[in-house]
Amino acid sequence: MRAMQTAATGMMAQEMNVQVISNNIANVRTTGYKRQQIHFQDLLYEHFRRAGSATSDQNTQAPAGTFIGSGVKTVSTGRAMTQGNLTPTDKPYDLAIRGEGFFRVRMPDGRTTYSRDGSFDLDSQGQLVTRDGYQVEPGITVPNNATSVSINAQGIVEAMVPGQTAPQQLGQIQLVRFVNKVGLESIGDNLYLETAASGQPIDGFGGGEGFGTLQQNYLEEGNVQAVTELSSLIAAQRAYEMNSKVITAADQMMSATTQMFRG
Amino acid sequence: MENALLIGLSRQVALARELDVIANNMANVGTNGFKARSARFNEYLMPVARADAFRPADRSLSYVVDKGTPLDLSQGMIELTGNPLDVALKGDNYLVVQTPAGERYTRAGSLTLDKQGKLVTQTGLPVMGEAGPIAFGSSEHSMRIAADGTVSSDQGTRGKLRQVSFADPKALASEGSNLFSATVAAKPAGPEARLEPGAIERSNVKAVVELTRLMEVQRNYQSVANMITKSDELRSRAISRLADQQA
Repeated sequence: MRAMQTAATGMMAQEMNVQVISNNIANVRTTGYKRQQIHFQDLLYEHFRRAGSATSDQNTQAPAGTFIGSGVKTVSTGRAMTQGNLTPTDKPYDLAIRGEGFFRVRMPDGRTTYSRDGSFDLDSQGQLVTRDGYQVEPGITVPNNATSVSINAQGIVEAMVPGQTAPQQLGQIQLVRFVNKVGLESIGDNLYLETAASGQPIDGFGGGEGFGTLQQNYLEEGNVQAVTELSSLIAAQRAYEMNSKVITAADQMMSATTQMFRG
Repeated sequence: MENALLIGLSRQVALARELDVIANNMANVGTNGFKARSARFNEYLMPVARADAFRPADRSLSYVVDKGTPLDLSQGMIELTGNPLDVALKGDNYLVVQTPAGERYTRAGSLTLDKQGKLVTQTGLPVMGEAGPIAFGSSEHSMRIAADGTVSSDQGTRGKLRQVSFADPKALASEGSNLFSATVAAKPAGPEARLEPGAIERSNVKAVVELTRLMEVQRNYQSVANMITKSDELRSRAISRLADQQA
């Protein structure tokens, strides 16, 4: 009974589908979150008779072959890297990217990670850091007597310092972009790592070609649409049930076979 | 008597085969661009003895054989995703995919880029444009696919997706991984073949139809099993009754 294994692959695929959907729903309020989209493909087929094979010596041909498939597999759970909505927060170190760039974040162990989450803050030394205290590249220190800090669309950080009429430039926030953003690896904490699939990071600044611009006092919401996810969830659950029905039917057919002869 | 058993067996084998087809359709209810297959059966007449020394002449017996699993080529539901590199195919058109084994065809239009910026399927196989694979440079962004298949970025047009159709699409062979192969050459798709950008074509498996067939298959299988059981009982009773006769 091949049908049992086939239906089992269907159930496993839908189970993973539910996992992906529930993770999307769980992150519906996560800043800069990009929803994941699962992709399935059919598995191998067994060919009993190929279409076009001869069915007589008069050159007649079979119009349709016999192909028995063996189920489904999950190929990818790529992220949909579409723009999320921007919401105003009125906090000077909240930044949203409008476009395709990522912030560079330096981890405590020296690795470079990438993020769309621009909810930054200052640490005790006045350095611009993420919510977890990781440094935002290229490392910007705000003097402790600064009265107001402004960050423009290009990421140039300026502070008003008492006793000076002109604002003091503190640096420019770096952005990177990737040829294939979808290939980035998620490591949690709203951070991504470069992979062989994403390609090398391309450095630049806000306003550059394809990097997008920065928006101070705003954050990018996750791009999860609750309604879409919930309808996908219902569809996944029903597909799971239907595949279990196939297993039940196959089981009853097998039991009919075993009960055909009672000695 | 023996014939009833063998004919029943041929029916059961065919039904088990049909169950496999239904199971594969149900497993792929969430597979983009998937086309369902159905099982088709034929009557197979057993050859009869030519000699007519005995009367009455030999009568022919009908067995069941499966005759193929034709593709259901109906359009699947089109779902908007908003991904710029997703395309849903509308009509009898197929995208062309370059594989190590040669050209393959697909209806699954959720495309992506690899690290070289080449337009590929979810498994990383290049999707062919009319002038070969389509690739973007590292400085390009805002990739878009238009309704006629033109692929462009902020720096202009980068190619046009090659769309093909077949004189006899029902004869396409399923290769797995959402790919079809063809024994006859593909011809360019006509002007009625369109793409829907930012959307994907979902599986065209009709769950209600499949579940109904599933029940029918299961019940038929059980009734054949009952028939075989009954004929077996009949035979054993005949043997024991004949054994009781005093000679």
